[in-house]
Amino acid sequence: MASCSRREVLTQNTYVVRAFPSSGVRNRPSRFPYGAIEMAYSQPMLQSEMETTETLTDDWLRQDIETAAQLLPGQGPITAFAFVNPLQAMEGLPFDEGLQLGSRLYGCQPYLPEGRYREMLEKGRIRCEDLIEVLLETLGDRADQLIGRLGTRFHFQLAMLEHPLRLGSSAELKWVVAESDALVKFRPEVSEKTRQSMLRRTEAWLTLPEANADAPGAENALRKVLLQRFGHDFADWSEGRWTRVCLNLLWNVCRQGVHQSPNSHHASTTGPIRPRDVIWNLQGEDTDQLVHEVLIRFCAAYLDQGQADWSMPNSDRRFWQAFCDYYSQPARIRQRWLKPLPAILQQLRASETEPLQLIRNILHGFGISQADAPNFLRQSLLAFRGWAGMIWHMESRPDRVPFPVESGTLIEFLALRLLLDQLAAQHCAKKLKHGSAIVWSDLRQQAGRKGRTQHALQLDQRAFLIFQLAQVRNWHPVELLQQSPQEWQVLLQEIEGFSNLERRRIYHHAFERAYQSKALDAIAIHTRQPLTERPVPKFQAAFCIDAREESFRRHLEAVEPAAETFGTAGFFAVAMQFRGVADAYYATLCPIVVKPKHWVSEDVALTEEEVHRRRALVRRTLGAASRQFQVGSRSFASGALLSAGMGVLASVPLVMSVMFPRWSSRVQASARQWLAPPRLTRLRLERTAETPGPNNGGIGYNIDEMTDICRRSLQDIGLTHRFARMVFMCGHGSECLNNPHKSAYDCGACSGNPGGPNARALAAMLNDIRVRTNLSKIGIEIPLTTVFIGAQHNTCNDTFEYFDLDLVPTSHLDDFRAARAALEKACELNALERCRRFASVPRQLTPAQAYRIVAQRAEDLAETRPEYGNCTNAMCVVGRRDRTRGLFLDRRSFLMSYDPTQDDSEATVLGRILGAVVPVCSGINLQYTLSNIDPVGWGCGTKLPHNVSALLGVMDGAASDLRSGLPWQGCDIHEPMRLLFVMETTPDAIRKVMSRNEGVRNILENGWVQLSLLDPVTSKITVYRQGEFHPHVSRTSQLPRVTDWADWFVGKEDNLGFVERCEEVSTQTP
Amino acid sequence: MSISIGLSLLSLLVLGAPTALFASLGIVTLLGIPLQERTISRATLITTLTGLVAALGILAVMLTTGSRFVPIDLGNWVDVESLHFHFHVKFVFDRLSVPFVILTFLLCGTISAFTSRYLHREPGFTRFFLLYSMFLLGMVVSTAAGTIEILFSGWELVGLSSAMLVAYFLERANPAINGLRVWTVYRVSDAAFLVAAIALHHWAGEGDFARMVGEGTWPSGHSLLTPQQALWVGPLLIIAAAGKSALIPFSGWLPRAMEGPTPSSAVFYGSLSVHLGAFLLLRISPVLEMSVFLSGSVVILGLATAAFASMASRVQTDIKSSLAFASLSQVGVIIAEIGFGLRYIALVHMLGHACLRTLQLLRAPSFLRDHMEMENALGARLTQYQGFWEMVLPQTLRDRLYRFALERGYLDVALDEYIVSPLVGLLQQCDRWERRWTEFLDGDADLESDHVPVVTDSLEEWQ
Repeated sequence: MASCSRREVLTQNTYVVRAFPSSGVRNRPSRFPYGAIEMAYSQPMLQSEMETTETLTDDWLRQDIETAAQLLPGQGPITAFAFVNPLQAMEGLPFDEGLQLGSRLYGCQPYLPEGRYREMLEKGRIRCEDLIEVLLETLGDRADQLIGRLGTRFHFQLAMLEHPLRLGSSAELKWVVAESDALVKFRPEVSEKTRQSMLRRTEAWLTLPEANADAPGAENALRKVLLQRFGHDFADWSEGRWTRVCLNLLWNVCRQGVHQSPNSHHASTTGPIRPRDVIWNLQGEDTDQLVHEVLIRFCAAYLDQGQADWSMPNSDRRFWQAFCDYYSQPARIRQRWLKPLPAILQQLRASETEPLQLIRNILHGFGISQADAPNFLRQSLLAFRGWAGMIWHMESRPDRVPFPVESGTLIEFLALRLLLDQLAAQHCAKKLKHGSAIVWSDLRQQAGRKGRTQHALQLDQRAFLIFQLAQVRNWHPVELLQQSPQEWQVLLQEIEGFSNLERRRIYHHAFERAYQSKALDAIAIHTRQPLTERPVPKFQAAFCIDAREESFRRHLEAVEPAAETFGTAGFFAVAMQFRGVADAYYATLCPIVVKPKHWVSEDVALTEEEVHRRRALVRRTLGAASRQFQVGSRSFASGALLSAGMGVLASVPLVMSVMFPRWSSRVQASARQWLAPPRLTRLRLERTAETPGPNNGGIGYNIDEMTDICRRSLQDIGLTHRFARMVFMCGHGSECLNNPHKSAYDCGACSGNPGGPNARALAAMLNDIRVRTNLSKIGIEIPLTTVFIGAQHNTCNDTFEYFDLDLVPTSHLDDFRAARAALEKACELNALERCRRFASVPRQLTPAQAYRIVAQRAEDLAETRPEYGNCTNAMCVVGRRDRTRGLFLDRRSFLMSYDPTQDDSEATVLGRILGAVVPVCSGINLQYTLSNIDPVGWGCGTKLPHNVSALLGVMDGAASDLRSGLPWQGCDIHEPMRLLFVMETTPDAIRKVMSRNEGVRNILENGWVQLSLLDPVTSKITVYRQGEFHPHVSRTSQLPRVTDWADWFVGKEDNLGFVERCEEVSTQTP
Repeated sequence: MSISIGLSLLSLLVLGAPTALFASLGIVTLLGIPLQERTISRATLITTLTGLVAALGILAVMLTTGSRFVPIDLGNWVDVESLHFHFHVKFVFDRLSVPFVILTFLLCGTISAFTSRYLHREPGFTRFFLLYSMFLLGMVVSTAAGTIEILFSGWELVGLSSAMLVAYFLERANPAINGLRVWTVYRVSDAAFLVAAIALHHWAGEGDFARMVGEGTWPSGHSLLTPQQALWVGPLLIIAAAGKSALIPFSGWLPRAMEGPTPSSAVFYGSLSVHLGAFLLLRISPVLEMSVFLSGSVVILGLATAAFASMASRVQTDIKSSLAFASLSQVGVIIAEIGFGLRYIALVHMLGHACLRTLQLLRAPSFLRDHMEMENALGARLTQYQGFWEMVLPQTLRDRLYRFALERGYLDVALDEYIVSPLVGLLQQCDRWERRWTEFLDGDADLESDHVPVVTDSLEEWQ
């Protein structure tokens, strides 16, 4: 077991631990990860060449590397897709700051491109009033400052937000000015009035030279230029000609003004530090291309979890050792830049150089000072972050892969990468230096200079910005002409200070606010009705918190008004390693941050044992045969026999599965029936041994543990009284084909596995009379007439699977049948609602047709969007279902049941819930949001060329770094915004929770989610901003109503507004 | 009489359908008219279906009438009497081309149906189908070609569309680099092909296969070339086939070509395109037969490729490379069969292999699921699969073989180091000479191109 203590030390009760290293290894000044990152970015680099790297001790280096490792993607193997905030390491910083820092570190976009926001502005998705609100909030006191004589800062920035400023490279601008109508026509949004006034004043200025006799020389010179170009016959000039004169004047004035003021605004990029970037800047050659080709091949072969038929010899050796073994043999044919490698490796071996020592030597060789070392190491790791992150994951979470690596592997990896970097850089730099010795610090400065001149805005670019703004803001050329150089300076600073990044930030917040205010309005209106005590429901059903279940629950409640639903984390507080009856090994069914201490297995009922044995044998035989076939088809001789002899037969499944997916999957399913394990099974839940273990008596829980789990999960959702005769516990999973990211569709609270077994286990525990007796001792009385049933909702084809139905007593059979009918009806309606999002599906469907379509998508090899997972999520409601029941939330809301009236004054239950819900839901939301903002940077790009590698992840095409994040096909309809939490509690309670739990506090306080509270008694809504709770101001007082949900959504593809359902509203008002 | 008219009509349908598709997609794209996904996929499906039905019709007629050779002569398109040169457009439907045409339509039709769903909402949807129709046309033309020039033109269409589909994701560097690599290898093999075609013209004044392989119907023809001539043309055609089918030493491009969307990888490098070299050798097999040297080298080339590729396939850690090498190993075996003169076996092998591999590649994204299912069936994690050779060979040799296989036989490196880089060095030397010369003439050591920035800035970064 490697050093896993750093990342997670967990108890049953705290499910979340933030990923920060505990300091204390050494006494260097405080090295909180993001602090160090900040420092490195604010300091000018490489000033201290005098400091040698010799002073870097092993401990310092090790800590630097571990700090950098916190930034690596924490996703782990793709078979258990983990939804974590890609910027988890930045959660200690305010949202925008962390995001922008992350975007610089990873080289990804922090917000959407400006053009996208402008489209939203035009379509009304961003509202002007929100834009103004956000801008005023940002500017504060600075809003009303006057910028020269041209208006206040607020108006000035608003103009920049409302009207698109175009900018191109210098060459492009030259073309625009010379060839386009930029100097011929005003910008389209300039009003007629402004236009006329501009024209008239230009006319006045130009035609009355004597009035300006004392004007400065520059002004007269300009006039002369214009007169020369356009002539003197003003009287005949058409309006078009005047426009051209006016715009030409403006353009010239802007250029002159910009020319006067030096370009003080340098792009904030610091010089390159990695040799790769130096060479890239200087000669456009990418040494990473060379290095990564070697690394991809070696890492995949070394870390392979069993994909290759023939795995690397000696892969049980340490990473560094294996690499030395592999590459130290001299080979005649080798890439030129790698030629010195064997000699170097042998020398390193002979001198017994440790990887850390090697890293130090290389830092020294590159002339990296001690101050720059952390930054350099971080950049070197992040340049190949897919595999580096996987190594770190395998080393720090050895429990999550079958073949983990030893601790310290990341250091060895880094040493290897730097060694290769060095070789490749030296090889390429030779061309730069033509034989003379390479001095890296010189090259670095050279590259830095080159980078800066390239990044600085050129004269024309700066002038063009003002030129555009002047038209929109009605700044007359003559006024501009009379500005002093100081005023120009101020103006330019103001424009360039309100950068593209800042503008996008403001758009983004305004965009979020539009949804926020609509959502809170809707909830405010909906919660106006007083809550009434309902009769005991016919049945109750608990689902996962998942946004996908929102629509399902809504439909279920509409189909059966006498039903009640709950939402809870999908592992139902049963953290376990689970092995199904036909599974080869245990799978982890609990959130990723939890390490389960219990094992549960599924056994076949005694009566079926013989059938099971027989079928297992058949499966094994067929499995062995298909393995033979798979391996054989790729080999020489048996491949020839197979493909020549039987190959043509492959065209049958090929054509069938592509052209008739439904039919072919039916054939397969009926064939499988003869192989599947018997359906009569039991979970082995009760432990006989003292301590838990994966075998025999160790499997399961004891009664006290079961009681505790049951108590917890019932208290969490507030189901402690009013039990119906039948209570369903519904986990969920997703069944789809040809999709390496399948586990991203499964239950996130079960580490990307189907959560049915958890629901089944909880139901079985709750049915246990001993558990019920224990529960009654602590005040939870479950009537003897109540039966719990575990089930699993397949979110892809919308079907339900029920567990242990043979145990349903005959007295409850009718109840079950009625409930099942309602669930089935809800499935169809849910399918109908899901179908509206699929662009390739007809707009008008009946529920039955929709049901067929979703089933078909699940069985289609060619379908890249079998379902949309939690895509479009935007809100998370933590509170009683009655507060949102009957409100259309558009599958965009996580729903967590929590009854504030049952909680104690310390908000213990709320704290427990939020400890899991806040990080999990914000992680899911930020994963979708960032993957949508920059699909290639934060996400893993498009699915189409993905290539499964080493059973650990996917590459793009033939060879690339491992790609983490979500595929574009999984998040293309998402609207990027931070999750809006609506919690039914008081400011006091939430403050108590925040003071107890640092992780939750970081996320809430730093704005990684938006937080609002719904008062349990008064139903007043408050919004959390800058550490304070402000009352929400409603803008609407009425919600539309429908009688049938389908009326609202059928035929529409986009996100929809909020709506109430008449019937449910009226049932609430007595 | 009516039968022959019917046959001509059917053959025209076989050739005309893909031509019409390519032309219409091409023209519409050229005019910048946006097309609906549904329109494109319907058109492609209808075309391939028409072609498939027509090809099956030809097969049926051939089977019922017993005719085994249906030439479609479209006459001379260029005829220079004085030089005894004519460009003869002629297509042949015989035992070799008909099964291959059927296979082409079948696979292309299936894959296009697959792709129309797989590429849903992809910005390059139209581009994909345009290139795909070009590929389809190229395949049909080259398989049904009756002269070497026609085969060459189809061959070029296939090559162009392959390279462009490898580079389908233009926004990333690797697809572009690998696409260029594929294209370069194709150029080399095309050059060999072209020289062979010219040589043939030179001797015969025409490129008709009848001249090369005799008038007899395939596979029983006998070449009319002299052994001398065969020894000239044969090696060139073998080089052409080696480039197209990724035989040694060109094998490195095949796994690199797995850059495009999964279905295009499946149909190109799993099945059709990679077999085109083998098809060429099959077509000219009577020429190979004439010389032991030629057939011997084909056998050796095929067996060496097969042995190398099956080894490489076993060590690959990603599914697509593994399947690419697996595919190559069977292509090698097929080539060897051709060398041995087992033409029918080679044909059947080729058809079977194409279907099998396409299916496997299409299912490549399911690998994780299949793997898990297999583990569950066997009840344990899959252990290393010990091949026969690995058990008998000594450890050191085994390690060495592993390295050889993982480094893909050092083939790419060898080509880069021993062929490409001397060539590039030579050209760079020429550039330096030229520069020195222009500087001398100009009297100025400054060129405009020196100031073009190596790295251009993007606007989004502007702050």
